[in-house]
Amino acid sequence: MKRRSKTLASVLMAMTLMISACGGNEGNNGTASGETPNTAAPEAKEVNFTIGYATGDPAGKKAISESIKAFMEKNPNIKITDVSEGTTSSYLDWLKTMDAVGEFPDLVEMRDTEVFLEADKIVELPEEVRGLFNTLPEVNGKIYNAPMVLTSPQGIIYSKKAYEDAGVTELPKTYDEFLDIQEKLKTSGITPIVVGGKDIFHMGFWLNKFLIDQVYAGDPDWNSKRTAKEVSFTDENVVQAMKDYKELFTKYVDKGWLSTADNQTASILVSGKAAQLFSGPWMFTQIQEADPSFEFGFYALPDRNGNRNVLGLPSPAGWSLSKEASTDSDKVDAINEFIKFFFSKEQYSKFLEVSNGIPSTKEQVSYEATEQMQTVLDIMADSSIKKSLAINNWWGENQIPPQFRNWFYKLMQDLVLKDGDVAEYMKKADTEYDMQVKANNQ
Amino acid sequence: MVVQQQHNDPAKAIAMPAVKKKRKKWQWYALLFILPSFILYTLFVIVPTLSSVYLSFTSWDGISTEVRYIGLSNFEEIIQSERVHNALRNTIIITVALVILENLAALVLAVLVDQVRWFRNMFRSIFYFPVLLSGIVMGFIWTIILNYNFGVFNQLLIMVGLESWMKDWLGDPNYALLSIILSTVWKSAGYYMIIYLAGLQSVPGDLTEAAGIDGANRWQQFRHITFPLLAGAMTVCMVLSMIAALKIFDQIAVMTDGGPGFATETLTYIIYKVGFGEMRQGFGTAMALVLFLLILIVTIIQVKFFRKREVQL
Repeated sequence: MKRRSKTLASVLMAMTLMISACGGNEGNNGTASGETPNTAAPEAKEVNFTIGYATGDPAGKKAISESIKAFMEKNPNIKITDVSEGTTSSYLDWLKTMDAVGEFPDLVEMRDTEVFLEADKIVELPEEVRGLFNTLPEVNGKIYNAPMVLTSPQGIIYSKKAYEDAGVTELPKTYDEFLDIQEKLKTSGITPIVVGGKDIFHMGFWLNKFLIDQVYAGDPDWNSKRTAKEVSFTDENVVQAMKDYKELFTKYVDKGWLSTADNQTASILVSGKAAQLFSGPWMFTQIQEADPSFEFGFYALPDRNGNRNVLGLPSPAGWSLSKEASTDSDKVDAINEFIKFFFSKEQYSKFLEVSNGIPSTKEQVSYEATEQMQTVLDIMADSSIKKSLAINNWWGENQIPPQFRNWFYKLMQDLVLKDGDVAEYMKKADTEYDMQVKANNQ
Repeated sequence: MVVQQQHNDPAKAIAMPAVKKKRKKWQWYALLFILPSFILYTLFVIVPTLSSVYLSFTSWDGISTEVRYIGLSNFEEIIQSERVHNALRNTIIITVALVILENLAALVLAVLVDQVRWFRNMFRSIFYFPVLLSGIVMGFIWTIILNYNFGVFNQLLIMVGLESWMKDWLGDPNYALLSIILSTVWKSAGYYMIIYLAGLQSVPGDLTEAAGIDGANRWQQFRHITFPLLAGAMTVCMVLSMIAALKIFDQIAVMTDGGPGFATETLTYIIYKVGFGEMRQGFGTAMALVLFLLILIVTIIQVKFFRKREVQL
């Protein structure tokens, strides 16, 4: 068996993913070259600022902390205090705690932009660094984030051996063909799909796949229409999406899916207990580390009509400047320098390589990509593949009540467990959604 | 001296003026001594508690500087919410089951340990050991043991040929709550065992000995002498186990995260989930207030009930 899928040294185009529904950034005065000017002039003023980011991905954390270290070596007058910590399971909880104790980071990786914007904690992204990026998502017509990566598409990560053993010679062109493959895998004696349903976010992988196919691909403004009660969860397309989900989970998913954590899915896949996992490129490293000899592939799962729709639109997330830091011009300058340094070709490529990320910068960034990662990049570059977002990643008018996502995912677990009637469960979703909208408007 | 002798209680007559003077002085200094503690207690307990009461009438999200008063809306939602009803139902099931099973297991262990002649301390230590584990650690241990694919329990079932008995113990709503209850009993029974053991060792041996001479067998001695004299220990254990059960959190957070679906969500768990995860601090605080009142009422009833049957020696 091949020890590792052939590594392709690919020059990654800084893809001009000018995606509709996202605010572009045409006018900027910033330096777009990514080259960081050396500010370590002897007379340079001493500046300190704090930085906070999510540490859930150890490789990503290491890459960021090395970037910080390299920046400080290059700019001895700027001291960055990394206040990130890895013991809190919820990044949002950690940020709230930091805010509560008056230690909200000056430069912060923002994932819940609208929440912290409403709380008046962050300010607009400085004009100076906007030019680094192709597209910058807007909130209420303004830009608040320097996107660290673009949203990664999710798809089927499959064991080549399992497909071969089941006699699958061709990847599916429609969702029905995909279901045929599940039958073949089942007949061959392997569990077709592993799901890490113990972690509620993992539920979103599949649920959003069906929602995107049936709902968001056709109507990106569905959420705002739902808030205005113009559409309903009981509509035929949503019900069909959840029927597909229920059918798949009832027939083809590993029996232990609800006690399997996301980080156990790679082990189950490489151990041969299951043939496929629906996830994103961040799993590639985990899978390779679990078994370097494991051969796997990746593809975007088509819908019933053969269209392929994936996550991939930018969403308002990335480095943001705190309001407090914005009042100190020296700090702002130092932070701008760091952002430029972070997204510079040399530094950014290291970060992307370890996190299997998709570059968000205008400048072409190259790094070694594996065969699977190349497929991901091809998907992102393929304009025939529609890009969308998960239910909770839309913004502006399309933002759902923040608490609805987890509730809905749990409801969908309940649907499968209790073999419930999809239409009835969708009525519950409508009721809860309206209640949460009302509660949030109070 | 004559006057003092004429008083009904000579001792009081002599002592009172001096005591009065002393007590007054003592109270003054006492105030100074308790002042730092009082200030700290007020700042860190009283003020936050009162703030919580206020926040329960607001829609505060936990971050925003704006705190909007919304009257009784949070409490109305608590009454109407199916999720809260489900959590209340789970809390009641867990509480009743834990109070009964923990006390039963603790009592049995205490009686056994009390009667064993050799290695008594070793047995005490073994049964007490799980108490030393934090709820988080214990949760992780049981999560590994009960995992469907890799868990020791299912692997043992496979080894003894009972593969058909394999279950997703934490992922099946029919077993998830039971798994949490049994693992919590395993963790906590040792703690209550120590209290019962202390109670058992305070039962006078001559009473059971006399009963034995009168012809009572071991069960009758336990039923009519030991058990009634354990009522004090039982009151303490019942109240403590009930409060702990009503507040159960760690095990659920680690073992099931309230799932599968909503199957193991309890009141404390959704207070945390709603208050922090879903950024509805006002609503979460309102639920915390309801839980506080619930614990208070149940505790008062429980203490009154058990106090009645306590036997004083």
